[in-house]
Amino acid sequence: MLRDVFRYAMKVLTEKKFRAVLTIIGISIGPLALVMMTSTVRGYANYVEGAILALGQNTVVILPSEKYKLTSSDLDYIRSLEEVSEAEPFYTTQGYVQTAEGRRNVFIYAVDSSILVKAIGNLELEEGDFPLDTEVTYCVIGHSIAYSTASNTRLYEVGDVITVNIVEVLGGGKLNLRKISLRIKGVLKEFGGAAFVSPDQTIFLPLRSGSSILNMKDMSGIFIVAKDPSLVDALTRKIRETYQDKVTVVAFQQIARTVASVTAALDFIVFSASLSAFAVAVAGTASTMITSVIERTREIGVLKALGFTDKQVVIMILAESIIMSLIGGAIGMAAGVIGAHILSSRGLTITAGSSGLIIVANPEITADLILTTVLITVAVGVVGGTLPAYRAAKIPPATALRYE
Amino acid sequence: MGNEASIVMQLVDVWKAYRVGDIVTWALRGVNLSILRGEFIAIMGPSGSGKTTLLNIIGLLDRPTKGKVYIDGVDVSVLPSDSLARIRNKKIGFVFQQFNLVARMSVYENIELPLIPAGIPPRLRREMVLKALKAAGGEEEWLAKKPTQLSGGQQQRVAIARALVNNPEIILADEPTGNLDRASARTVVETFTKLNAGGQTIVVVTHDPEVANCSNKIYLIRDGIIKDLRSPSKSECLLNKEIK
Repeated sequence: MLRDVFRYAMKVLTEKKFRAVLTIIGISIGPLALVMMTSTVRGYANYVEGAILALGQNTVVILPSEKYKLTSSDLDYIRSLEEVSEAEPFYTTQGYVQTAEGRRNVFIYAVDSSILVKAIGNLELEEGDFPLDTEVTYCVIGHSIAYSTASNTRLYEVGDVITVNIVEVLGGGKLNLRKISLRIKGVLKEFGGAAFVSPDQTIFLPLRSGSSILNMKDMSGIFIVAKDPSLVDALTRKIRETYQDKVTVVAFQQIARTVASVTAALDFIVFSASLSAFAVAVAGTASTMITSVIERTREIGVLKALGFTDKQVVIMILAESIIMSLIGGAIGMAAGVIGAHILSSRGLTITAGSSGLIIVANPEITADLILTTVLITVAVGVVGGTLPAYRAAKIPPATALRYE
Repeated sequence: MGNEASIVMQLVDVWKAYRVGDIVTWALRGVNLSILRGEFIAIMGPSGSGKTTLLNIIGLLDRPTKGKVYIDGVDVSVLPSDSLARIRNKKIGFVFQQFNLVARMSVYENIELPLIPAGIPPRLRREMVLKALKAAGGEEEWLAKKPTQLSGGQQQRVAIARALVNNPEIILADEPTGNLDRASARTVVETFTKLNAGGQTIVVVTHDPEVANCSNKIYLIRDGIIKDLRSPSKSECLLNKEIK
């Protein structure tokens, strides 16, 4: 019976191809929107959450406000807190290096290498070593700085000297370009995206170079490693209570949680928006099916005269709408997957202060998303076809046979 | 007597009313009719006399307002619509004036239709379809064609094959020659007489006396009442007429 029902439904649909195609296009919008938007949003959400969590679940960074300067007594206070395992200051600025491929913007961090490795998980050296604290003119460079962007060839080798140009703002708003030459002691493995720091585009110096080489007197911030991720909330609360608005406390675990809740909300909004497309599809399917059923009233009368029961008529009409919805769903999901890749490949620009970071995250197309989309699409066919099918089944055969 | 056992269908005091707003029209008023196995009955009457209503009730396409309809001794007038559908599928074959073939389907698929609700597996269907088409005077080469590629007479033979395919107890034909030229009408009537000669029970509603006279019993209906029962005059049968 099912094979016959399917064959009969396909014959009906192919007879009125244009109408069926238009309905199928209408149905495909919902799955397209759902798959494209949801997978893109989830892809970026996971990327951002991953990038934040890559910095370590027990890492906290404090950054002074413009009016406040962090001093060694602040550092001592932080170290004295019971939740703190380690705390080290860092100095950071921005500059550029001139390579054969042109000017390349870089971040420069003077930071203790042991806390750096603890604060940023997965940070590994590809070659060489971190400089000792006494080796103030040595550095470790990020993967993107060491390699050519066009080909995968090295621009800098361990032992080379790299010249970094740093623009300094002097008193009276005067700008001064300072050139620093550093010897490369190590090259980092490719890290990928991370929030707050971008290791691939960064030159790391020993902590002591901060004041001596970078000529910076004031700490840019303090890296803190908590004893346990569960202590992060208590620690940040304590620091915020002590410093009020004098410092900004960045806890990556908390940001990840916030991002997760924001993306969950975004996910819901995207889902709701897609549902409206599905609602339109239900109306479109119902309208097509009602027209189709009215046109075939006499034929339905003949089927009933030949012995088709009401239930069998309902199944035959529903099969048409379900087939249309499945085809529309398949087309919509395929287009959604393609659309999601196109959308994601454009990248998302995150602006943080003066620097912008373009992240490219793959869309997250999961079995769960596809299954949900298929189920909703089938529901479109069932809901859109039920009323017309019921109507067809309830026409008395004698009346249907008289229909002109 | 033996007739008791051979009654296929019996209508007992059947009334049928149609209501439009406050106006009630009685299309049938106390019809009593017994159809015996192997009979070829013609029902004649002017337009609006209740012929088609009677046929719809005999065919279980409509229910009587009053009265009872028995098939093989069982009162079917009270059965739910799905049970009636199953009885129609098993026991009744319909032939319509407009043929009512599904244009998008091939001749084979049209004849096959009643086998679907009957649950006949596809591998057994071809033989049944072919047997029915041959019994209806059709040709195997029609099977792949669309109904619109056939003449009116050929389409009606396909419709007869569809009515026959489930081996029904009764074939009900509503003005089966109404849309046909005389030559085609003659082949259809010829098919009916052959089938009847093979034991098939046939009920034909017609306004054409030349068709009615080919049957073995003619009921005249007027104003919803069976007024007369006549014996047909075989010399007036279409089959004995010369077609000009």
